[in-house]
Amino acid sequence: MVPPVAVSPLIKTARWSALLLGVFYGKQRFDYLKPIAEEDRRVEEAEKKVREEQQRIKQLAEANSESILK
Amino acid sequence: MAQAVQKLVTKVPSLLGAAVTYSKPRLATFWYYARVELVPPSPAEIPKAIEGASAIIKSFQSGRLGQITVKDAVRNGLVATEVLMWFYIGECIGKGGIIGYDV
Repeated sequence: MVPPVAVSPLIKTARWSALLLGVFYGKQRFDYLKPIAEEDRRVEEAEKKVREEQQRIKQLAEANSESILK
Repeated sequence: MAQAVQKLVTKVPSLLGAAVTYSKPRLATFWYYARVELVPPSPAEIPKAIEGASAIIKSFQSGRLGQITVKDAVRNGLVATEVLMWFYIGECIGKGGIIGYDV
């Protein structure tokens, strides 16, 4: 087998510091995005309820409307 | 369906054994190289890393850039890309998932 190569210290430091920075960045971004996503979900729920109400009203109106097409 | 599950369950120990036998030498090779190449820098190596970084910056300033061979430039580019990929792996670890943020 080829003997393992001696990696330059610059590359080693760069790799592992990039890993640490990435972990911090990922954690930070996750914490930033989490409340925004919850807010979006809440807003979506409220709007969905409003939409379903309106659909129900429309359905009832259609069922009750008189037309000669029955 | 139940029979297939039973047959699978009886085969699991032998499958595990086969997997271990397959992976042991490969793991050994991996450790052989990783113990030298992938270890984090010891505290003594960090000043050398800073020296190396300042040497690169000085070479940029002194205009030696135009004298690098394409082969060297491509190799350095690949190394830089690998370092960048470690950042993305760190981001995956930090956000707790591989694809996307699990918000």
